[in-house]
Amino acid sequence: MALKALDIFKLLPKTNCKKCGCPTCLAFAMKLTTQKATLDECPDVSEDAKAQLSGAAAPPIRLVAIGAGAAKIEIGGETVMFRHEESFYHPPGIGVVLPDNLDEDDLRARIAAVKALSFVRVGMRIGVTVVGVENVSGDAAAFASTVKAVASLELPMVLIARQAAHAEAALAECAAARPLIHAATDADWQEYVRVAKSAKCPLAVTGPDLDSVAALAVQVRKAGIEDIVLDLGAGSIAAGVEAMTAARRLALKRKADGVGFPCMAVVREPDPYQNVSDCCAYVAKYAGIVLTPLSGPEQIAPILTLSQNLYTDPRKPVQVEAKLYSVGAVTPQSPLLVTTNFSLTYYTVQSEVEASRVPTYIGVIDTEGTSVLTAFAADKLSSEKVAAFLMSAEVSEAVSHRKVIIPGYVAAMSGSLNEDSGWEVLVGPREASALSKYLKTVWQDT
Amino acid sequence: MTLLDTAKERWSGTISTLTIGADAAAGGTRKSVVTVGGAGGLPFAPFDGAPPHSIAVAMEVWDCPPEDWPRSLADALGDVVASPAEWAKACVEKWGADLICLRLASTHPDQGDASPQEAAATVRSVLEAVDVPLIIWGCDLPDKDNLVLSVCSQAAAGERCLLGTVTEDNYKTLVASCLADGHCLIGLSPIDINIAKQVNVLVTDMGFPLDRLVMYQTTGALGYGLEYTYSIQERGRLAALGNDRLMGVPVICMVGQEAWRAKEARATSEELPGWGDEGERGVYWEIATATALLQAGSDILVMRHPKAAQALKTTIDRLTTV
Amino acid sequence: MKTYAVTFQPDNCTVRAAAGRSILDAAKAAGITINNVCGGDGVCGKCRVVIRAGKVTAKPTMFLNRHDIQRGAALACQTYVAGDVVVEVPPESRTGGIPHLAHEDAVRFGKVCAKIGEGATYPSSPLVRKVFLELPQPTVEDSLADQERLYRSVRKHYDLPIMQMGLSVLRRLSNTLRRCNWKATALLGSRGGTVEVVDVEPGNTAATNYGVALDIGTTTIVAHLVDLTNGETIAANARYNSQSAFGEDVIARIMYAGTADGLSVLQDTVVSDINGLISALVFDAGVRLADVTCVVCAGNTTMVHLLLGLDPAHIRCDPYVPCTLNPPVIRAAEVGITIGARGLLTALPCVASYVGGDVLADVLVTEITRSEELSLLIDLGTNGELVLGNSEWLMCCSASAGPSFEGGGIGCGMRATSGAVEWLTLGEGGRVVGCGVVGGERPLGLCGSGLIDAVAGLLSAGCIDRAGHFVADVCGPRLQKNDAGEKAFILFPGEQTALGRDIALTEADISNLIRSKGSVYMAAECLLDHVGLTFHDVRNVYIAGGFGNHLGVEQAIRIGLLPDLERSIFQVVGNGSVLGAKMVMLSEHALKYIQDNIASAMTYVELSTSHKYMNEYTSCLFLPHTDIERFPSVAKATRLQNGSGAAE
Repeated sequence: MALKALDIFKLLPKTNCKKCGCPTCLAFAMKLTTQKATLDECPDVSEDAKAQLSGAAAPPIRLVAIGAGAAKIEIGGETVMFRHEESFYHPPGIGVVLPDNLDEDDLRARIAAVKALSFVRVGMRIGVTVVGVENVSGDAAAFASTVKAVASLELPMVLIARQAAHAEAALAECAAARPLIHAATDADWQEYVRVAKSAKCPLAVTGPDLDSVAALAVQVRKAGIEDIVLDLGAGSIAAGVEAMTAARRLALKRKADGVGFPCMAVVREPDPYQNVSDCCAYVAKYAGIVLTPLSGPEQIAPILTLSQNLYTDPRKPVQVEAKLYSVGAVTPQSPLLVTTNFSLTYYTVQSEVEASRVPTYIGVIDTEGTSVLTAFAADKLSSEKVAAFLMSAEVSEAVSHRKVIIPGYVAAMSGSLNEDSGWEVLVGPREASALSKYLKTVWQDT
Repeated sequence: MTLLDTAKERWSGTISTLTIGADAAAGGTRKSVVTVGGAGGLPFAPFDGAPPHSIAVAMEVWDCPPEDWPRSLADALGDVVASPAEWAKACVEKWGADLICLRLASTHPDQGDASPQEAAATVRSVLEAVDVPLIIWGCDLPDKDNLVLSVCSQAAAGERCLLGTVTEDNYKTLVASCLADGHCLIGLSPIDINIAKQVNVLVTDMGFPLDRLVMYQTTGALGYGLEYTYSIQERGRLAALGNDRLMGVPVICMVGQEAWRAKEARATSEELPGWGDEGERGVYWEIATATALLQAGSDILVMRHPKAAQALKTTIDRLTTV
Repeated sequence: MKTYAVTFQPDNCTVRAAAGRSILDAAKAAGITINNVCGGDGVCGKCRVVIRAGKVTAKPTMFLNRHDIQRGAALACQTYVAGDVVVEVPPESRTGGIPHLAHEDAVRFGKVCAKIGEGATYPSSPLVRKVFLELPQPTVEDSLADQERLYRSVRKHYDLPIMQMGLSVLRRLSNTLRRCNWKATALLGSRGGTVEVVDVEPGNTAATNYGVALDIGTTTIVAHLVDLTNGETIAANARYNSQSAFGEDVIARIMYAGTADGLSVLQDTVVSDINGLISALVFDAGVRLADVTCVVCAGNTTMVHLLLGLDPAHIRCDPYVPCTLNPPVIRAAEVGITIGARGLLTALPCVASYVGGDVLADVLVTEITRSEELSLLIDLGTNGELVLGNSEWLMCCSASAGPSFEGGGIGCGMRATSGAVEWLTLGEGGRVVGCGVVGGERPLGLCGSGLIDAVAGLLSAGCIDRAGHFVADVCGPRLQKNDAGEKAFILFPGEQTALGRDIALTEADISNLIRSKGSVYMAAECLLDHVGLTFHDVRNVYIAGGFGNHLGVEQAIRIGLLPDLERSIFQVVGNGSVLGAKMVMLSEHALKYIQDNIASAMTYVELSTSHKYMNEYTSCLFLPHTDIERFPSVAKATRLQNGSGAAE
């Protein structure tokens, strides 16, 4: 919502009656700004207030669903220009586009290759989430039969055809799967609208530049299609990135008509390095769908990883992986420090240890990205957790002694940690800046 | 008025312009110089403001053959890694690097503990071997760097090199050297926009000019913290465009160094089955890291693999020609 | 079990202790209180003693170098008896001394907030009222029972639909009334909607009705004895909260409360402190303890829980839920507080786990909610609570500033008691050109306000840069290596100080202060940001907390603790908690006002989950801030000093 918390607060009853579950009206208003609550949770809000607030509530970029069932994807629905302002919410559909002029064996092989584009990174499965079929042959029957074969992948589809009738023919094979129909142009949009409407599918619109695409989108929407995708990648990569950037800003600021829809690009660049580069550029700069003819795992994996990275919610605190780290040439006699997985904490400790030139192990405990004091106060850093870590294989394989150094601020857990783990607990300094001295003096003396 | 015109934002600041390398007119021996910075809008959005003067692609050259680089990278570089001068030459003549980033890795106490004089000799040899500007990067140990880089700074005096790095805890020595010898400086910060600014404040408070400063905000590779770097760079760019002069400083990214640490770049096919061609994986990983950072706003990108460097140059070209 | 003799000097006091007992414990047994800020964990370094003779074993610690150890220095909590031993406890390691601020608070506060007029805004209606009644004697025609007769008379004075009386009072009632010829004084206590006849005293005792208002702080407890008939404070006193022995901060005490007997020990400790204070007050004022009829406390949520013996464990764990936010009115004796036998006790309501009645009291007395103007209230204590709002809305948060404002974590830091430098002015090169020491004698250390002055002065003099690091050229000979090998700026050389040791600041000390001030400034900015406002929208900034008395606003702005606004906006409030407690004690309307207009309107913001706070906290770690444009008056002063100035 563009409205600020105080503006919303002024429109609420201000009785602090707590019926909405929040302790005060202001707290409720603050929740509304972050969309963690909806206006209907307040039973006493006036009609006038409702009207004023709902105007601001309509999303600036439409959320469009493509595909059906478990594999359905939703694109668009974004609220910010830069991920650090809030977060990006709906990762783009990334996939391979197949031509309809391959022989049976080739097609089967290509489909198999697409199916294999599935990877596990940091415990999450990422893979292509859409597949496109292009009517390169210009023949309706070939298009339809290729679509039928590709439908076996059970991925949301993008049907790319220059004639609405061909799209219609292909739809017969997969309408229930709600594919995206690509694409209406200035010349033939009425035909495409008719086909999309009857199949109840989303429709892409394309044109040479942002103005023409937006104007076309306005017409298509007037004709009754709500789920529209803007193809802004028809020209050069430079033009495409520029257009998508402008469209995102215009949509968020509600400054133009016809731009409040997700965008897409089909990347046709023949040089594979440039093609992957372009796909990455589109993923970064706002595309809701990116299609490429490439299907090598080494080509697709980086694009998928980039999407995974940029669509991570930045508000989740910056964390490092909870595990045993080592600094310098450690031996089994090297000291072992424990600390939290809040990035700032970890890197501060690590740099002090590096500066000390004493090879040291640093055990990082998962405290959901909170610092030592906060974690301790909220019981996220507890003697049970640390004991469990100390008794893990990771630690017992690396460290031969049984002494652990805990941060000075959590000295209070030394007794219980000693009981829980059987390790000797040394209380380190409160401030990381004193670690160097500690490691060189106190540790050496033990 | 087109939609692009409507979308334009009124920015009040720009990134400062920085030149690396001194040609004969400027008292140096470089035949080409690199001028970066100057952006007045979002990256690759000409409607939004002036584009930067250029985006430079540097290639890394080490002063000693690197020990544990993956096969696909080592093979692509070949024997030149035995000699910094040869390596630098290949980077420029064969692979088109705009500038060389010389890593004085052997000066690290654990890596040979080369002396400042030895390092200076390497610097001179590279300066002689190529005509492009030079980035001189220490071993990242503040005490040793202070010794080595001040001697190298003298050895390269007048060539307007880019020296790195300084931090908020260790900057006085190098700032003094670069000031005296006419070089530019890289400020290091740990993915924290406030520390980045604090480094710039401390350095400029010593009298170092803002237009000889570059920010290295620590690069996270694709899959290994890229998004943190991405957002920090975007935030820095926005602050600069909003007229925060101290943030209006060009940004350098160590793409090659970080991308090639990734398992996805290094592993063999046996180690990582199903992830595609072993020889190409790393190249794509490096290219993707670079392209993403381009979109966040980067001015100098330091690459390792020749193919990745060349591809990046082409990408930059294509992105700046509407 | 073999025991050894442990002798403490200069007290010349000996106790016996078993081998392995810590020197700190032995001292406790000997009645000698040694500083124990970290509760015996060996991380604060404040329990330094000297082993003059005898055998001990000790755990290694980084607070002592080889030099120190050779000279016999030891940390009492990390050193253990291993034979007969003689221990010297130096003065700076001893706790004790009543902070001098107590009396000054009451006086100063009267000066600053005269407009509030000590309860005049709220109609008088003390927690326990005394009303003199002349009851008509019972007759055949008027044969109302004694209790109902009493009630009828009371109702002639006050319209009180619901009244009650305890059995023990009822038992004595008939006798009392007849013995005093039906002229008696009823004590009426308000107990959440009903009125209890707390007691019936023979004759007319209405003129002697006293109450105690308490500010139960984490570090200090302040008590005022108030004449409930006219609202005057007739005595004031304060002492350190002895719970500090079990933990410096709220979290440590909550954890201690979780151990066996921990909760009852903590409760007993604070009750004992309070009883001690009350005894001292009645003695000073020449008042009978039996005439003290009620006690009202203001404290943070944990302090209230510990006083009432409520388990605070869940306060500190996600989602941070206390046992109660509205403590009931109870009999003081139920928690062991000694006043009139049947006297009542209550505490101001709390708002959230970490924002308590003391902060609500501050809001009450500063009248933030009575104006449309936007006000910001900062309580600069150990916890550092902030309140932002006006008559329409209120927000609060807890900044966890850390102990440096109370001298903790600073080498030469101390509380504001005798020997504390509470203000100072530095000249060229950081030379001390003026200072004020509490008690007027030689300086012992720096208290919070002195520390702020020192850092501000060093910054202005150019002795430190904006990151808080020393600039050797400007510091000159005043910058030396201390015993621990760290660079330290000597403010007061040994010859001038009470202990003969230099009073100096290290970069670590300065860094500590910077972090504390950064937390407070950032917390204020986050509150404002939550409602889309900025510092420029704020019309009043109130600074509360016992520490604030000598706070130099100019210096606080210079280091970036306070925002750079027009100076007239700032008002140092002093101890609003005890005054608020007093106002509530004098008027139930004040309590209702707090409940209806402050507590229920207060929106608590949890900063630890605020990603703005986490992302931008580092920007506050510069002096005064990374963005000096936010502090134009400081920037201007710096430019004037530096001439043309190289940077921004």
